[in-house]
Amino acid sequence: MKPGQLRLAGGTIYDPANGIDGEVRDLFIEDGRMVSTLPDGAPTLNVSGMIVMPGGVDIHSHLASASCNHARRLVPEEHVLDPAPAPDLVDQYLARSGTGGTIPTTFTTGYRYAGLGYTSVFDAAIAPLTARHSHAELDDTPCVDGGVFVLMGNDEYLLRQIAAGERQRAQDYAAWLLTSVGGYAIKIVNPGGIEAWKAGQRNLSGIDEPLDGRSITPRDILDTLAGAGNALGLPHPVHIHCNNLGMPGNVEVTLASMQALSGRRAHFTHVQFHSYGGPGWKSAASRIMEYVNSHPEVSVDVGQVMFGPATTITADGPVEYLLYRSSGRKWVNIDIELETGCGIVPLVYKDKAAVTALQWAIGLELFLLSQDPWRVVLSTDHPNGGSFLSYPALIQLLMDRGVRDERLKQVNPKLLAGSALADGLAREYTLNEIAIITRAGPARLLGLKHKGHLGPGADADVTVYSRDPDIARMFSAPRYVIKGGDLVVEEGQLRRAPPGRRLRLAPGYDEALLPDLRRYFEAYSTVSFANYPVRDLRDAPLPL
Amino acid sequence: MSSDRIVEHVTCLGCGCGCDDLTVTVADDRITQVSPACPVGRAWFADGQVPDRVLADGQPVSLDAAVSRLARTLVEARGRCLVYLGADLSTQAQRAAVSLADLLNAAIETETSATAAAGLLSVQRRGRAGVTLGEARNRGDVFLFWGVDPRERYPRFLARYSIEPTGTHVLDGRRGRHLMSVSIGADKALESADSSFTLSPDQEIAVLTLIRASILGNRVAAESEIAAIAARISDQLSQARYAILVHDAEPTAEPRNPLRAEALITLAQALNGPTRAALISLRAGGNRVGAESVLTWQTGYPFAVDYALGYPRYRPERRGGAIVTTGGYRAALLVGSVSANGPAAQAFAAMRPALIGPRASEADVPTTISIDTGVAGIHDEGTAYRMDEVPLELRPCLTGPRSAADVLQQLALAVRAELKASG
Repeated sequence: MKPGQLRLAGGTIYDPANGIDGEVRDLFIEDGRMVSTLPDGAPTLNVSGMIVMPGGVDIHSHLASASCNHARRLVPEEHVLDPAPAPDLVDQYLARSGTGGTIPTTFTTGYRYAGLGYTSVFDAAIAPLTARHSHAELDDTPCVDGGVFVLMGNDEYLLRQIAAGERQRAQDYAAWLLTSVGGYAIKIVNPGGIEAWKAGQRNLSGIDEPLDGRSITPRDILDTLAGAGNALGLPHPVHIHCNNLGMPGNVEVTLASMQALSGRRAHFTHVQFHSYGGPGWKSAASRIMEYVNSHPEVSVDVGQVMFGPATTITADGPVEYLLYRSSGRKWVNIDIELETGCGIVPLVYKDKAAVTALQWAIGLELFLLSQDPWRVVLSTDHPNGGSFLSYPALIQLLMDRGVRDERLKQVNPKLLAGSALADGLAREYTLNEIAIITRAGPARLLGLKHKGHLGPGADADVTVYSRDPDIARMFSAPRYVIKGGDLVVEEGQLRRAPPGRRLRLAPGYDEALLPDLRRYFEAYSTVSFANYPVRDLRDAPLPL
Repeated sequence: MSSDRIVEHVTCLGCGCGCDDLTVTVADDRITQVSPACPVGRAWFADGQVPDRVLADGQPVSLDAAVSRLARTLVEARGRCLVYLGADLSTQAQRAAVSLADLLNAAIETETSATAAAGLLSVQRRGRAGVTLGEARNRGDVFLFWGVDPRERYPRFLARYSIEPTGTHVLDGRRGRHLMSVSIGADKALESADSSFTLSPDQEIAVLTLIRASILGNRVAAESEIAAIAARISDQLSQARYAILVHDAEPTAEPRNPLRAEALITLAQALNGPTRAALISLRAGGNRVGAESVLTWQTGYPFAVDYALGYPRYRPERRGGAIVTTGGYRAALLVGSVSANGPAAQAFAAMRPALIGPRASEADVPTTISIDTGVAGIHDEGTAYRMDEVPLELRPCLTGPRSAADVLQQLALAVRAELKASG
């Protein structure tokens, strides 16, 4: 018997990437990986009767960034209400205490993700200038492998290359930036709109509206960066938060953005916030899903709104300004030199508020109208639409029509006329589909070959649930969670908290870029070119 | 022939500007030149010499012996410990210190001044409109210096981060910007501004309130001196493409009106209706902003954290020397530079604290254990935070004594071992 071996015996396996839909099988783990078999006598965990899935993969969260830390600092009142004593780990003196709320402290974030059965998480928006901070936070976020998406859609150097028609240099710059800051994917937030906000133009509303004084449009930015991500062979070529987030009628710009990148792989994030018809407030979820269903190169995550407290954190500064004015809540805006922005407003989503009820309904419509679960991922845009802790309740809404219809009766119906949800959507997600939208799908969309499945060679990230007719309860308390072969959750209790690995890439670029980039830094940056790249990153880059 | 060694791109933590463009010349293990030099930076680097001693009750001991003894002392006092995060630590050392505090159910205090702390509390109530420093330089076309002339305590702020350089959106540099300054009592503002105003301390908040009312469209029509000043300032701010308000978040000559920070925060926020604007809160150096950042991500709170109940609690009302004398602490661990005559050292003197940090062995305080370490950014590598919370690479230019991060990590291991042994 070798250490690091474990047989999971008798579980009902949901491993959609390998075509396994609820079959009773044994699984085998050795040295942190799934293997095809183990010798007799290997340590065995009896999971018969239980439900076994790969560890969860969160494709879009906000958990480890300078913006998150500004948000954390902004809400001491949430932390006071949610103290998080150190968990009872096997090695108790390695356990860390913290505080929760919508933006928990780092250690608590790692523990709580693991406690939900999630083992990989991506921070979907980091400013490259503060990447060092993101990596430090991830270093202090145990139990989950983590990576960061790098904000580029309003980057001054990139905008200059686009204006000059220097597409190749823009691509080299994107590659240099990802490599320098240890990023995993190119992120675009409100293409051009943040620069418009910073420059006094306030915002851009259509993909062909130019930035003042520059011959650049959101379309150019989308086209250049989607082109770069695809040409570089990035596993997740480009992750897009469209223009006009949260505005009535924004479905037009969302569809135009999708069409602009037709034929190229692109992921459109938190589409719930981008699926509003107009004039006034109405659902346009069916138009979005009609497009997504018929375009296999497009993927989305939903960004479901869940009733309750949230904190909105986004690089989309102009949106947060409007939210501040409409909500009257406290507001942080931080413009980040040469790169991007940051806005924060804490909120409570109330079911009696008509617009919130509409947002909630639209999110569910997107899920329920999806024909290909592999391209429609579960997210709440944590903590923007609600905490990741609300995923189990969301899964229940998808799997249990009775619960969903009851909840629908309690919300403000004013704006729901004409929505598919109000007209009655009978669909109920199966466990296999849940396994796709929370694990197998996001792993595939991220190009993580070793995650999101349980076949030989995969990382031994496994979640085991005890069957429970209350789906929300079942998904909120896994019986066992295994991360990289370590038994992290045992009998429903967090018992081990290994450090997570860093998921990052280092795409190549033409070094002819560097002299020009150095001159630019010397002219405009307040950080030295030589000091900009993050050194001593944990773990080697993944192969491209 | 010269044995000079040149280290480039060195980061200075002398003030919160965190300039990372310094070239340091080293000869015979001493810093002989720093370029570009500012007075604060020169004083910060000096010749880079620091003591290298490990003392127990004033007598030299081995590091291992000192760490084991300290670990025992701290574990015996678990639940009644105070950890003080002083200046000049890398973020890596701060992280290790906070992990120790968690293990020991300790209270944590920091170098955050009472004035700066009041400003952070205002941010927690209101939020803020801010920028990283480069945006001031790249976009700021109207500046309002509120009771501050940055040249004395933040010598390169004007030349490197704000008014003098050309920016992406201010191609003329200084000529493309309009500067206003407001002096308040003993808080003298920039003399070379394009328009200058002088207020008495009791006029300050009224003027800030009138400016904000005007920006919000509610100008008060009054024939008074302060109304006229407020009108001139608000007119100028309204004409900005991007207005930058600058104040000193640290204590200054004039006793700080506790309403100043919040009034400036809300004014900067209000300006984002008609135009764009941000407030820059100038902060002192030594990576104290990094300590607030680490505490925030590990505890949720930027300072005044107490782990006594087994999780972080926020005690912002309970700070300063008073908690040392009335908190019932049995052991105190001071990490980082603790100015010998500063309030912390004075408050701690009666407690015989343990010191881990640069020049610990020379502190003017009776101690149990003193462990000298390097200074962040001079001897110790790692990360430090600028006043705007931008994290910076530290490139040490000298080999110093043991690094503070290493000692604190070793101490954390020893404390864990001691806790396990004591069950």
